[in-house]
Amino acid sequence: MSKKRSYMNCLEFRRELNIHPHSSAAEFVAHARECPRCAQAQADALAFESTLGRALAIPPPPNLAESILLAQATQQRRERQRWASGAGWLTLAAAAVLAVGVGWRVTRAQPLGDAAIAHMLGAEAPALAMTAPVAAGDVRKAFAKRGVDLTQVPADISYVQCCPVGKFKSVHMVMPRANGPVTVMYLVDDKGSTRADFAHAGWIGRSVPMAHGTLVMIGHDASQFAQIEQEWQSTLQASTRI
Amino acid sequence: MATDGSKSVVSSKQRQFDALVRGLSGDLYRYAYWLCGEDALAHDLVQEAFLRAWRSLDSLRDTGSAKAWLITILRREHARLYERKTPQFADVDEIEVADERETHTPESVGEDGLIRAAMQRLDAKYREPLLMQVLGGFSCEEIARELNITPAAVMTQVFRARQKLKGMLAGDVKEAQLHELS
Repeated sequence: MSKKRSYMNCLEFRRELNIHPHSSAAEFVAHARECPRCAQAQADALAFESTLGRALAIPPPPNLAESILLAQATQQRRERQRWASGAGWLTLAAAAVLAVGVGWRVTRAQPLGDAAIAHMLGAEAPALAMTAPVAAGDVRKAFAKRGVDLTQVPADISYVQCCPVGKFKSVHMVMPRANGPVTVMYLVDDKGSTRADFAHAGWIGRSVPMAHGTLVMIGHDASQFAQIEQEWQSTLQASTRI
Repeated sequence: MATDGSKSVVSSKQRQFDALVRGLSGDLYRYAYWLCGEDALAHDLVQEAFLRAWRSLDSLRDTGSAKAWLITILRREHARLYERKTPQFADVDEIEVADERETHTPESVGEDGLIRAAMQRLDAKYREPLLMQVLGGFSCEEIARELNITPAAVMTQVFRARQKLKGMLAGDVKEAQLHELS
């Protein structure tokens, strides 16, 4: 035991050292200055704190901030859509009443291709710039939310989110490719009868009936669609409905 | 004019939220990871916490308390969604340290791994106040308010947390040395 020259004795110092290793309290600093054994204990404790801090600093996933901001933008958009849908129903009801009166007919909903491109260019447009691959587990989770159990997942998916696309329930993904990103949307339980190509706002797309729904691909280079279609064909054929 | 004012309020809220996400999501993820012990779950927790934070962002008056405010939301979210879930802590070998391996020596990675494994084994009542102090930089009084216990209890818990951690590490090192000798 060292000589007690400060207000704090060795026991008090060691206790404080385990509670506040970085303490700058005057009596704590004074004791360390006067007691070599406690000064050594403090040096060891600070080295331990440094190692502890480094060990706890688990690196966050890449694109964590971007994925949170996208989720927030998507949520806002959904809320707006719900609100607009409520207002839309009122408008539609009024139009229907009017139509009965004057013999008009309500026009058909927006075509699938236009709805998909409009969705892609909406709040989730920043997803087109994402390149870091998402975990296969996240893709499986998104499909599971839509009632599809994937046993395998294609590589190189940089974005995945469950989204409403117009009236359709979809899993919205981005697959970066050499000639630009391809947006891939799988519309569950909405299986068209034929494949179709479409174009809108400078983008080209293709919809393909597949397994439990329809796969929609959108990009600037249609030559990239065939391989993606093949990958998803084998993936979805091996999947099951849950 | 009223429309312009409304737009300006909305965009300033969005800017504030962006700054919070970009500035604190990493810290919050680390906290969530050590709270639940799973990377995917930690990601979901952080995202849910920020989505809740967005909805009540108007209640954040002091930017200096943003981190504590977010941690409170995160802890509530964890309690709400996962309090009945048994934490599935990963083995030390499964913990992702790829980014760190590039900057640390093999010796330090081994040491970090031992500390991480010991932290996983530490009882939650000791681990959480220690995390708040080491990762969050909170004082014992702030931790006490957050955990709804007395400052004296916090001091006891961080003291014991360090003692237990060092005790476990001393045991692990001895065991590792025995394996090397055998």
